Amino acid sequence: MRSLTVASALLLVTAACGGGGDEPAKTADGKDVLTIAVWAYDQTPEFKALFDAFEAENPTIDIQPVDLLAGDDYAEKVTTMLAGGDKTDVLTMKNVTDYARYGTRGQLADLTDVVDGLPRESYRGLDAFDLDGTYYALPYRQDFWVLYYNKKLVGDADLSNLTWDEYAALAKSLTKGEGAEKVYGAYHHVWRSVVQAIAASQNGGDQLGGDYSWMADQYATTLDLEKAGAIMPWSTANSQKVSYDSQFSTGKAAMLPMGAWYSARLIADKAAGKHDTDWGVAPMPQPAKGAGVKTFGSPTAFAVNKNARNAEAARAFVEFASGEKGATAVAKIGIYPSFTNDAVLAAYAGVAGMPNDETAKKAFAPDEIMLEMPVSETSSDVDAILKEEHELIMAGEKPVPDGITEMGDRVKNEVG
Amino acid sequence: MASLTRRRTTLVGWSFILPNFIGFAALTLVPVVAALALSFMEWDSYSSPEWVGLANFERMWNNATFWVALTNTCYYALGHIPLTLVAALGLAMLLNRPLRGVGLFRTALFFPYVTSLVAVAVVWNMLFSPDLGPVNQFLRAVGVDHPPGWTTSSDWSMPAVILTSVWRDMGYYMVLYLAGLQTIPAELYEAAKVDGAGRWARFRHITLPSLRPTTFFVVIMLTISSFKVFDLVQVMTEGGPGRSTLVLSQLIFREGITQGRFGYSSAISMVLFVIVLLVTLIQFRLQQRSER
Amino acid sequence: MTALLETPPAVRTTAKPPGHRGGTAGRILGYALLIVLSLLVMIPFAWMVSSSLKQNNEVFTVPIQWIPAEFRWDNFSVIWDRIPLWTYLGNSMLLSVSVTALQVLTGSFAAYGFAKIRFPGRDALFLAYIATIAVPWQAYMVPQYIIMQKLGLVDTHLSLILLQAFGAFGVFLMRQYYLTIPDELSEAARLDGLSEYGIWARVILPLSKPALASLALLTFVNTWNDYMGPFIYLTSNDLWTVQIGLRAFVGLYDAEYAMIMTGSVISVVPILVVFLLGQRYFVQGIATSGLK
Repeated sequence: MRSLTVASALLLVTAACGGGGDEPAKTADGKDVLTIAVWAYDQTPEFKALFDAFEAENPTIDIQPVDLLAGDDYAEKVTTMLAGGDKTDVLTMKNVTDYARYGTRGQLADLTDVVDGLPRESYRGLDAFDLDGTYYALPYRQDFWVLYYNKKLVGDADLSNLTWDEYAALAKSLTKGEGAEKVYGAYHHVWRSVVQAIAASQNGGDQLGGDYSWMADQYATTLDLEKAGAIMPWSTANSQKVSYDSQFSTGKAAMLPMGAWYSARLIADKAAGKHDTDWGVAPMPQPAKGAGVKTFGSPTAFAVNKNARNAEAARAFVEFASGEKGATAVAKIGIYPSFTNDAVLAAYAGVAGMPNDETAKKAFAPDEIMLEMPVSETSSDVDAILKEEHELIMAGEKPVPDGITEMGDRVKNEVG
Repeated sequence: MASLTRRRTTLVGWSFILPNFIGFAALTLVPVVAALALSFMEWDSYSSPEWVGLANFERMWNNATFWVALTNTCYYALGHIPLTLVAALGLAMLLNRPLRGVGLFRTALFFPYVTSLVAVAVVWNMLFSPDLGPVNQFLRAVGVDHPPGWTTSSDWSMPAVILTSVWRDMGYYMVLYLAGLQTIPAELYEAAKVDGAGRWARFRHITLPSLRPTTFFVVIMLTISSFKVFDLVQVMTEGGPGRSTLVLSQLIFREGITQGRFGYSSAISMVLFVIVLLVTLIQFRLQQRSER
Repeated sequence: MTALLETPPAVRTTAKPPGHRGGTAGRILGYALLIVLSLLVMIPFAWMVSSSLKQNNEVFTVPIQWIPAEFRWDNFSVIWDRIPLWTYLGNSMLLSVSVTALQVLTGSFAAYGFAKIRFPGRDALFLAYIATIAVPWQAYMVPQYIIMQKLGLVDTHLSLILLQAFGAFGVFLMRQYYLTIPDELSEAARLDGLSEYGIWARVILPLSKPALASLALLTFVNTWNDYMGPFIYLTSNDLWTVQIGLRAFVGLYDAEYAMIMTGSVISVVPILVVFLLGQRYFVQGIATSGLK
């Protein structure tokens, strides 16, 4: 037994010391191979759009996607692969928390010099990748939250400048019917962000801070809507795994706070004849008028593997994808890019089926986008606690003040 | 001479075990031992592991969430093991007779085990739905005024998960019991009948004792799978509401893969390992005693 | 020796169903009960089938829509164009069959060493086998992956075959079954000059058909439905199994559940065929023909 222990410990040590040094592979016709780890390649058109654009500019490079599939297990696969010394050139960073972990472990290549040369003011979400002054990834996509609405159900109500109170009143007035025929004024998905990240971005709260009193108003608004029957009860939506798409695109809910990513889905499904909803987007409702549009979101990024076989091409790709050309390529298929300028925004608004009225324009150009969850060593620990307490509040097991106190106590006692 | 025979027997014994053992040792035993060794280290899956002694266990001892998960896991095991055992044995007895279409019935009862977990979660959550779910409608009909909130309440989510898991696993263990029932010699029953033993007496004095090795297997496998339960809970309640159905494997996953504290997650695995080992040892002793 | 093998020992004739009572009414009631039970147990499967005939935004609704508004039969034809399902089914079949064959072969062989030969260290070794099952996979998957990577087996089917074929499950199951076979049988064969290997092949193995069948069945089903193993080890699309192939319908923020359910329904079919074929080995009387 003891020798086995020693042997296995040795094994782990040697594995950790394994490294790159291989020459980049070549294709049969002499192109350099660039491997890029992605998720659900066939269902995620942005990857193909980016790869085609890059290959057109760099005819000597052949991109080979490595499909790791999405879902909750993406991090598990990437963690295991990297532990085994995988040499895939470019890795897609699904969220900032996972990124921070790979970055601080030293598994990603340093891209700070690339960032230094970028026009920072044109990027949204770049700061999220700053790990104590070092950048290991560049964002190509920035999803932030807007308010979707069903034009037929909402009628001529003006949604361009709602406060949460006005939103709640409107949602209540739009609620109709009973049983299977019931149309809710709005649908709020079960994620904790729908309450907590909205509150954080608009009330200036710190989700890692340990004091969560700033969430109280948003919880009050949400629970009041639920009590009035204007949104589906959280417990029902959660236990029945209700999908926001099934509520919104079938006309069962008039309004839906959701990420900008949903536009691409709505457009594609409508084109395929799966629904005929006449939909629009409006800015997220705000606590008060006149303070500008504040919302939250999270960027998606590419990073270069430290063990990359073809590091040079990998860096070129990451820079390309996050820059204007990459931004144009993804904007054209209805994905909101991290880099924006007038031309890119025009390409985005010009996507067939994309709402481009004044309200939509305002929604797509928020004044402030806060990161959905701040990046820190403690992010995932705090995230777990906030989620658990969110469930208890929403399931009606704990009054809001108790839940908020409990969050604070647990974060102070259990994290750190 | 005696020692020579013994050495020969040992060699023969090992020769049987070896083909399986080589693969098992290289690909399961070594990584498992490595994982257990990691519980005394700190490891992020990439850098070299660092020896930290008992620090991971200390952290575990002081972590409230660990105790919640441990309690929940024991709760689950205490419900899941006996109920599944009884259900599986009952079904096996029921379907171990020459009925017309018995194959179809057996297949139907095995269905839950091959049904997609998402389907299981959605349908059972619907059945348990507090207001309109059939379970609570039935309870109200029989006079329960305030039926439980099942998966939407902290107090009742674990019983709901247990019931669903029994439903899902009973067909699996039924298959094992069906194989076990085949080994019981008919003569035993014939003789008992001649002696005037009733159904229950025959079940108690013939069927149950003859099934002892099968039951030993089923109990240990059930114990292990109960303490390791992951998928069903993950899909059905994700450990919620709150932490009411959070189990140890979820914590191991969270601490290891999600947070990158592989040493700590190994320490939690070690606890699982010790619990299951103890249960197995007790079972082992009991079985050996009854064989004597 | 041949004499012994030709006459099945009386002990081995299996039981007639215990409690075989007539009465047409009772029989009809019994059948009705079984049919109701079978139908109840299949409700989640019905949800799966119904969802596979829906459009995506109709899958998760409140209340559950049992009958699709419009039957989308073309889901079952579209899926073949969207993903290379034949390749995935072939890969799943290849893995399941190889793992099952190896598991049954090496497992039943090793089990003989554990059940029928006494040698020092046997029980400790057996305990080590069981103990490894107790450690959750999440805890040791990274060390295991590193070993596979060193062996150069990552992203090959061989990695999964080696990983799953030598598990402790089969050894344990078969050992328990062998324990129910009276030692007198192997003693007699030994006196007749049969070697231990001969006893395994010609006496014990033919007697354990029900156990072999249940082991094969459960191993097949578990390998077929395994998701995490193939997900971690297989990266090339042309090596994927059905279970990972279906995850291709999961996007970053949403999933095409109608397609996933369609694929899940298709992937259950081979399991059912295997089950219907395999379960006849639990039918009364098969075990008697064990000795030939």
